[in-house]
Amino acid sequence: MSEHDPSQLGAYVLGALEPDEVREVDEHLAGCAECRTELVELEEMKEFLGEVPPEAFLDGPPTDGDLLLQRTLREVRAASAPQEAPVVAAAAAPKKRTRWLAVAAAVVVLAGAVGGGVLIGRQTTDNAPVATETVPAGSKQVMVSDAGTGTTMAATVEPRAGWSWVTVTIAGLKAGAECQMFVTDKTGKTYVAGSWVVSPKAAQEGSRFGGGVLVPTDQVRSVEIKTVQGKHVVTAAV
Amino acid sequence: MGDVDRRPESAEALVRSLYAEHGRSLLAYATRLTGDRAAAEDVVQETLVRAWKHADDLTSGKGSVRGWLLTVARNIVTDRARARAVRPAEVAEIADRPPVEGDHSEAVVNSMVVLDALDQVSPEHREVLVELYYRGRSVTEAAKELGVPPGTVKSRSYYALRALRTVMGPGAEVAR
Repeated sequence: MSEHDPSQLGAYVLGALEPDEVREVDEHLAGCAECRTELVELEEMKEFLGEVPPEAFLDGPPTDGDLLLQRTLREVRAASAPQEAPVVAAAAAPKKRTRWLAVAAAVVVLAGAVGGGVLIGRQTTDNAPVATETVPAGSKQVMVSDAGTGTTMAATVEPRAGWSWVTVTIAGLKAGAECQMFVTDKTGKTYVAGSWVVSPKAAQEGSRFGGGVLVPTDQVRSVEIKTVQGKHVVTAAV
Repeated sequence: MGDVDRRPESAEALVRSLYAEHGRSLLAYATRLTGDRAAAEDVVQETLVRAWKHADDLTSGKGSVRGWLLTVARNIVTDRARARAVRPAEVAEIADRPPVEGDHSEAVVNSMVVLDALDQVSPEHREVLVELYYRGRSVTEAAKELGVPPGTVKSRSYYALRALRTVMGPGAEVAR
């Protein structure tokens, strides 16, 4: 482009010209301040384009992705209807007993570790849905820590009319973790008592969550937290 | 999230339609970032589940759905790489993969903003940019592909960049 023709500059910036065309534009640019200014602006736009990955311009479903779709649908189905139904009659209950013993041991250790433990316990009562300082009569409180997942949980089970309100405060969760609370009764039946996501603030200060479950408080055997993906986080025997 | 229809059948319909429209793009992107098809499938699965959970943001008509999905996929990859990085045993594995650059909370806004802007320029402008920039084609190749003379490709690419600048606003800057 020996003559002034800024419309060449788009293809020039995008690197789509032939080598001899590039040379011509270079020559023109050397003597044209107007085009050099324009070039700066166009280069800025090219930088913007770089923010978008090239894959953004592929359309349609993936090839060979059927299993992926089915897996995803299963996860969404499982997560979209958990509030109503008892999920599983926990067949694995006997196996869990050994873990509870380990947890019980952990509770003892934690009860001795005054600082953090006491703080966590107090936060729970402060934020319990009841406005009083003390937990209601008949409530059960436990604190456990799980060395495997690095979490510590304080759980309070409060009696309601034939059901229970369960609040937990958990330290050691990662921001963005999606958690579910499961309550198992003494017959080994497991109920979902809600799910939540851990905010960055909660990851630092402890994640608090409460959920109701149709199990009388004296029938609650354990409270377990799992990720929505099904990974065990921490279990408290009540 | 209060307005989202939580019935299983609508959740399923949403996931199916997102998958049908964006699945290929998402999986290809996640595969490049992770370098591993199985890991990429996990990322896509998690992205679609999050999309369903945040259906309000997604269907509000504001912003590009594709941009949202790609951004979330990228964040998941970044977070997983960080989570692995705290475990020294797997550091060697990390070094092998392409770096996920920048602080994603910044870059996030940008890839979404740009995709949005690209949605707003005319289809002729957009397709020229896709051919020349994202597919790395020369003017000659793009002209053949699009069935227009090379001179048209050149002028369209120029006006496309100008149009993009108008949409983005002159004050826009790439966040780093």
